[in-house]
Amino acid sequence: MKRRKLALGTLLLASAAMAALVFAGASSGRTNAGAFKVAWIYVGPHNDGGWSQAHDDGRLYVQKMLGSKVQTTYKENIAVGQQFNQTVASLSAQGYKMIFATSYGMITKQLAAKYPNILFEQATGTDLSKNLAEYFGRAEDTVFLSGMAAGYASKTGKLGDVLAFPIPEVVRHANAFALGAQYAHPGATVQVVWTHSWYNPAAEKKAAESLAAAGADVIGQNVDSPAAGQFAESKGLPWVGYDSDASKFAPKSWLTASVYDWGIYYLKRVKAAMAGTWKSGFYYGTINDGFTKLAPYGPGVTAAAKAKIAAVEKKMENGSFYEFQGPLYDQSGKLRVAKGVKMDVLKGGANSLYGMNWFVKGVIGSPKG
Amino acid sequence: MRISVEQRLRRPRWLTVAVPVGSIVFAFLVAAVVLVATRHNPISTYKQLFEAGFTQNQSLDQTVVVATPLAFMGLAAAAAFRMKLYNIGAEGQMYLGAITGTAAGLYFGGRGGPAPFPIAAMVVAGMFGGLLWALIPGILRAFFRTNEILTSLLLNYVAGLLLTYLIFESESYWRQTKGFNATVFPKGKPLPHNAIWPGWTLHVQGGLTIPLGAFFAVGAAVLLWVVYRLTRFGFEATVLGDSPRAARYAGVRIRRKILAVMAISGAIAGLGGASQVGDFSHALDGDPNGLQKVGYGYTGIVVAALGRYNPFAVVLIAFLLGGLENAGNTLQGPSFPAGLVGVIQGIILFSALGGEILSRHRIRITRKPKQTVPAAAPARAPEPAA
Repeated sequence: MKRRKLALGTLLLASAAMAALVFAGASSGRTNAGAFKVAWIYVGPHNDGGWSQAHDDGRLYVQKMLGSKVQTTYKENIAVGQQFNQTVASLSAQGYKMIFATSYGMITKQLAAKYPNILFEQATGTDLSKNLAEYFGRAEDTVFLSGMAAGYASKTGKLGDVLAFPIPEVVRHANAFALGAQYAHPGATVQVVWTHSWYNPAAEKKAAESLAAAGADVIGQNVDSPAAGQFAESKGLPWVGYDSDASKFAPKSWLTASVYDWGIYYLKRVKAAMAGTWKSGFYYGTINDGFTKLAPYGPGVTAAAKAKIAAVEKKMENGSFYEFQGPLYDQSGKLRVAKGVKMDVLKGGANSLYGMNWFVKGVIGSPKG
Repeated sequence: MRISVEQRLRRPRWLTVAVPVGSIVFAFLVAAVVLVATRHNPISTYKQLFEAGFTQNQSLDQTVVVATPLAFMGLAAAAAFRMKLYNIGAEGQMYLGAITGTAAGLYFGGRGGPAPFPIAAMVVAGMFGGLLWALIPGILRAFFRTNEILTSLLLNYVAGLLLTYLIFESESYWRQTKGFNATVFPKGKPLPHNAIWPGWTLHVQGGLTIPLGAFFAVGAAVLLWVVYRLTRFGFEATVLGDSPRAARYAGVRIRRKILAVMAISGAIAGLGGASQVGDFSHALDGDPNGLQKVGYGYTGIVVAALGRYNPFAVVLIAFLLGGLENAGNTLQGPSFPAGLVGVIQGIILFSALGGEILSRHRIRITRKPKQTVPAAAPARAPEPAA
C-alpha cells in the first residue's frame, strides 16, 4: 500500500507543478495596441539561409526602424493556394492592414479584391490592382557580376548552375550568370540542372554533385538553400550563392552572391501605408537604389577580379553597361537581340526580362526544364 | 510489480468515449510541458487554437476548406484499410482526379450548356482518374502479390511530377498559355464559369460557405457505410480483411475484391481531387509549393485511423483536424515557430492514435506476492564489480 500512496503522491505533485508552470507562463503574450500591423508570408522557412531569410531581414529592418509604431509578424512554409488564402483570412481577422507575399503565385487579383481594406504586395509577379502592388529588382545586373567572379575563378571555363524552375525569372538569371562568366572567361559554358523546387536542400546538393561529376569547376545557383555550397566546400570547388550572404556555410568556397536589400523597399512602403499615401505599382529596384548588390567576397576572388568587377559595376551605375543589350545569341547561335537593342523589363514578349524563355549561347541544358 | 498489456475480452461502451477524450486531455498536458519549456502560455495557446479553428469570425469557413479534402482522403483510406488493403496512394490518386477532373471541366465547361453538366462531367472524370491510378497498385497486388503499401506510395511521387510537368514544364492543355502574365509564371488554365462548383453560403460567423465537395464527401460516407454494413460485397471484404484464409474457403473471389476495393478507394480520392479544382483552386494547381506541399492524402491516413475506419467518424475527425490545421497557421509567427505548431499537432495525433490501444487492451498491474527466495535471481546478470 505504501508504494501506491507514494505513486499517487508523486502524480499529484507533478500535476500541481505543471499547473503552477502553466500559470507562471501566463504573462508572456506581448501585444502592441495601436501599432500598424504588417505581415510577411514566406514560401519556405524564415531562416532558410536564402530567399525567405533575406525577406525576413527586411521585416526586422522595418520593425527596428519604426519601433513600436508597427507590429510585424511572419508566416513561414505556407503553401500556395488554399493554405495561403487561409493565412490571409486569419491575418485579416487579427487586424493586419498590410501583407507582403514573397513568392509569385500567392496572391490573385480576386483574393486582393476580397480584402479591400488590406494593402497587398507581391514579390516577382505582374498582377496589379487597386490594393495589390508588385515588387522585385534587377538582380540580373548583380548576377552578371557574380557570374564574372565565377568566370575568373574557373580554370576550365566549364561552370555549373543549380536552377529551380524553368520560368523566365530563373532563365534570365541563368543567362546573366553565363554572360558574366563569358565576360570574364571568353568561351565559358554553363551547364544547368533543374531541381523543380525553390527550397529543397537534398535535390540542390544532388544537382551540384551531378554538375561536378560532369566537369564543372565552379558552381552557381538560383535556389534558396546553401546545400550546393556545402557540397562545393566539401569538394573544394568555388561557389556563387544567390539571394543571401551564405558565406558562413562554405567559408572557403564562397565567392559572392547577388543579394537583395528588401528592407529599403519595405520601409518605404510601410511608411507610405501608414501615412495613407500608398499607391499600387510595379517596382523594379536597381543597384543605384541599393536594392540589389553583391554580397561580400570570399577568399577565392582575386584582387584583379575584384577591380574588374568594380569597373563593370560602376558602368552599370552610370548606365553605360547593360548585360541584356544586343547582340545576344541563343543556344543554337541564332541572333535573338539585334546589336544595340536593350531588353525591356515587361515589353517584348520572349525578348523581355519577364518573358525570357531561351538560353543564351554557351548555356548547356534545356530552358524548358 | 508487473505491468502487462492484455487484450480486452469485452469492450465497455463508456470506453469508446473515455479513451479519445482522455487521450486528448493527456495530449494537452504533454503539449503544455513543451509549451512552458519554450516559454509560451499553454492556456492562451489552446484558447487561440480553438478560436482560430472554430469560433473566431470566418474560422469555420476556412476550416471547412481543409476539412473537405481531409474527409475525402480519410474516406479513401478507410475504404481500403477496412479490408486491410493499405492504399497509401490517396495523395497521388487525388492529383490524378484533379488532372482528369480539370480536363473535363475545361472541355465541357467551355462549350456552354447548362452548369450541372460540366460539373457532373468533372465528378465522373475525377473519380475515374483516381480509380485508374489506384488500379495500378491494385493489379500489381492482385496478380503479382506486390506490396501495395510501397507501390501506392511511390506512385504518389510519380503523380506529383506529372502534375508539375503539366503546368510548369510543358504547354499542356491544362496550362494557361494566353497573355503575358502566363509567360512570367506558369499557371493552370482557369475553369470556365459554368464548371466552377457552387457553394452553399450560411450567414453565420460573417459568412460560412459549404462547398459542393463537402456534400459529396458526406454522400460518399453514407454510401461507404451502406456498402460495408448492408451489402454482401462489404461483408466479404470485411471477412477477407480479417482472415484471408477463411474468405478463400468461403469462396470469396479475392482478386476481384482487391481490384474493386482499390477502385472505390481511388475513386473517392479522385473525387477529392476534382473537388479541389472545382471548389477551390478553379485551375489545375501544379505548383510544388501548392497542393503537393499540403499533403492531404497523408493526413487522410491519420483521419481514417482516428475514425476507426467508420465513415461517419472519419467525416467528423476530418472536420476537427481541419480546424487544427487551420488554427496552426494562425498560431505561427516570430514568437511561435512553425515547428512548434507541428510538435503540438503531432503530440495530439500521436496521443489520439496511441490511446486506441487502451480501448482494445487493458493494462494490468499485478503485484507479486513477496517471496522469501528470489526465484528470478539467476536470470539477472550479475552486477559488475566496482
